[in-house]
Amino acid sequence: MIEKRRIAVTGIGMVTPVGNTASETWSALLAGKSGAAPTRSFDASGFSTTFSAEVKDFDAESAVPSRKLLKYASRSHRFALAAAAEALADAGIAPTGVDSHRWGLAVGAGMLSVGYEDLTVVRDYAAPDGEFNADGLVRPDFPGNPVNFCRWQSNAGQGLLTKQFGIRGYASSVHTACASGGQAIGTALKVMRRGQCDYMLAGGFDSMINPTGISGFCLLGALSTDNDNPTGASRPFDATRNGFVLGEGAGFLVLEDWDKATARGATIYAELAGDGNSLSCYRITDSPPDGNGPIQAIEQALGDAGITAAEIDYVNAHGTSTQMNDRSECAALKAVFAGRIDEVRVSSTKSSMGHLIAAAGAVEAAVCCLAIRHSLAPMNANYENPDPDCDVNLITGAPQPMRIRAALSNSLGFGGSNSSLVFRHPEEVRS
Amino acid sequence: MKHAGEKIVFTGSGIVCGAGTSVAEVWERLEKGETAVAPFTQFDGTNWPVKVAAEVLQDNRFLVSDRKLHKTIARTDMFGIYATESAIEDSGLPAYREGLGEAETDTFNDRTGLIIGSGGGNYRSNYDFLPLMTAAKAAPGEELPYFGRELGNQVTPMWLLKNLPNNVLCHVGIRGQYKGTNACITNQCSSGVLAVAEGASAIWNNEADRIAAAGHDSPFEPEMVYYYHQLGLMSGEPPRPFDAERNGTVFGEGSAAVVLEREADAKARGAKVLGEFLGFGCCSEATGILDLEDDGDGVKRAIESALADAGITKEQVGLICAHGNGNEASDLTESMGIRSVFGDEIPPVTAFKWAYGHLIAASGIADLVMILEVLRRGVIPGIATLGKVDPLIAPFPISREATVPRSDIALLICRGFGGMNVVLVVRGAS
Repeated sequence: MIEKRRIAVTGIGMVTPVGNTASETWSALLAGKSGAAPTRSFDASGFSTTFSAEVKDFDAESAVPSRKLLKYASRSHRFALAAAAEALADAGIAPTGVDSHRWGLAVGAGMLSVGYEDLTVVRDYAAPDGEFNADGLVRPDFPGNPVNFCRWQSNAGQGLLTKQFGIRGYASSVHTACASGGQAIGTALKVMRRGQCDYMLAGGFDSMINPTGISGFCLLGALSTDNDNPTGASRPFDATRNGFVLGEGAGFLVLEDWDKATARGATIYAELAGDGNSLSCYRITDSPPDGNGPIQAIEQALGDAGITAAEIDYVNAHGTSTQMNDRSECAALKAVFAGRIDEVRVSSTKSSMGHLIAAAGAVEAAVCCLAIRHSLAPMNANYENPDPDCDVNLITGAPQPMRIRAALSNSLGFGGSNSSLVFRHPEEVRS
Repeated sequence: MKHAGEKIVFTGSGIVCGAGTSVAEVWERLEKGETAVAPFTQFDGTNWPVKVAAEVLQDNRFLVSDRKLHKTIARTDMFGIYATESAIEDSGLPAYREGLGEAETDTFNDRTGLIIGSGGGNYRSNYDFLPLMTAAKAAPGEELPYFGRELGNQVTPMWLLKNLPNNVLCHVGIRGQYKGTNACITNQCSSGVLAVAEGASAIWNNEADRIAAAGHDSPFEPEMVYYYHQLGLMSGEPPRPFDAERNGTVFGEGSAAVVLEREADAKARGAKVLGEFLGFGCCSEATGILDLEDDGDGVKRAIESALADAGITKEQVGLICAHGNGNEASDLTESMGIRSVFGDEIPPVTAFKWAYGHLIAASGIADLVMILEVLRRGVIPGIATLGKVDPLIAPFPISREATVPRSDIALLICRGFGGMNVVLVVRGAS
């Protein structure tokens, strides 16, 4: 078997509910700070859940210098452009006229339905009595704006990012609900290993904190309704957990051919060593109680990384804080780590940031890279009541100083798509 | 040799579009020069500047026999499930699995992957909110609180599930228990062809033993027609690719799918082979959401990287299946990209959107399914809507009449929003 090409993570960027940069986010996670608060961006008082984990004080104008791109960018695209710019600056490298065709992009794209504001225009012209009548759209005074149309195209984020940074190689946009960010980074790993790109920007972005976005989750009863205690509502693996907290944001990694990165003396956070993904084939929203599905994704990722479960020291869990997900994920971890389960430290940083949906896997991958670099694993905040079904070795109360040989990041999406990524400490020599 | 030793072949295909619900039906329309573009029926076009589309006219029950599913998935998902399951059935894999023991079946399922290119939703799904929004507007001063309070009473709890972009992936998975590697690609027009490319790569990378790759979309919706028209992209008649009088594209709807596996595995189980996947190229023009480079350089680069990936020379290409969407700038720059690679030796070119409209996320993969049939038959159907080739594009080897491929290798071009160019290279079954 041919040796797999080594891929380095050399840049990180994040816009999250607990910080508008990677370093702010990292500090907040170490402090166990919560990003949840009563929803400010719209009047959520009538909804069953009135709080969320919003990105705060985000200055799009300074984060996205191009006026034209800003015009076409939705809220989540703006997070993406800012986080991607931070990642590239952090890596100290960017596409040039000479190598732009060797740069690629893979993104987990967020909310693919239309926002409430745009829908009100359709309502007012084409559904004045509630029933949609297409002729309302061809009234001469219909104020439909093609810019809004462009913004809602499935790969609009991909188009804006490739233009902003001049990326002219492979480009793709994926969406497997909550697994999107992880799948995008996995896609990037495959593209680079097969030699199609030497550098890739990989990540995810999402913003569903708006009336239509949040509605879908409210209707499903998936969100925590602890309206009187937003900061304590996301408590993955706690026996009293009662749903997830909706977050928003973006996370990006700069991935680089290992030899090129070392040759230019780049700081390498970690090796992106393995990707695994599987389909649970169980039910659309329910997670398999025995972990059948996530197990295969984790095992594939380990195999792809060329390591065994014995080398994983830290797991950044999907840990949404719903009853079913957390139980299913723990069952999978116990199956994979078996007798070693107590040695593996686990936390879900959704306890602080909330659930960033299509961005979650990307942001949490970035967290794994930072944990490896700083030999410090962030905590699972808000944990008080043990659940016998979730008796994994959680990091609670404070971050855990520990050298991490390899970290596992799980993302398990609606519809049963499971994505697992393995990151290795750069000093760990490939055997 | 890039992919030494391991040939990847197509062992099944499926299609549903305005021109038919099987490869044979669509072929018949192509051969006769009949377009499926016709006055649309899903809404009243009397007052609309565009009155035609290539609609799928079969009802949901024809597409998906399980009626319980009809309420929990979107129109585009019906197409996707139909085509993907048709391709899997066509491959003979379900019958093959029947003959396996229990442990072998588990391994088979874990090593069978699904990679689906999805349109990602569009507009129609949001209209479920309109009655509630109208009622909320009448609640003065407190529209959103009213909307929030009444949500559970007026909108189906299943709303989000009905509109998941990855629905085809999960429903085909659940129905068939295909548990292997998977992806849902939402990269607008290039989604379906990228699904094929990533599917082949997944087998080469030993992530799976077999992959069903599909693309599905239902872009024909009033708002989509409105905005495409506003942007000058929509014609009121069947598209005329590369024609001097071309004036835009027309929406179709539907899905297409293929099954990919190693040639050795296909042989071992005695499967029929529809063709071979040779390689692909994918690149961005970095021009934003709608704009195109004006020299076709992205098309050129995607073709060159696909030829290199396939390990073949341009002289070996027997025909080109162009994106040919009938838009002025897209067709012109596509022809420039082709010419810059092939010079004066361009092999015969065809394009199919004149027949079944533009399927957006499913467009390139529908073309792939039909190109495999072209290679099998050794006949390239003529483009029935072609009048006179644009002088800015001529000489260009496209024709109203049926022609013959120069070899058994086809190069397929798919372009899309976001400055995307994806090129596949395939060999037909001899």
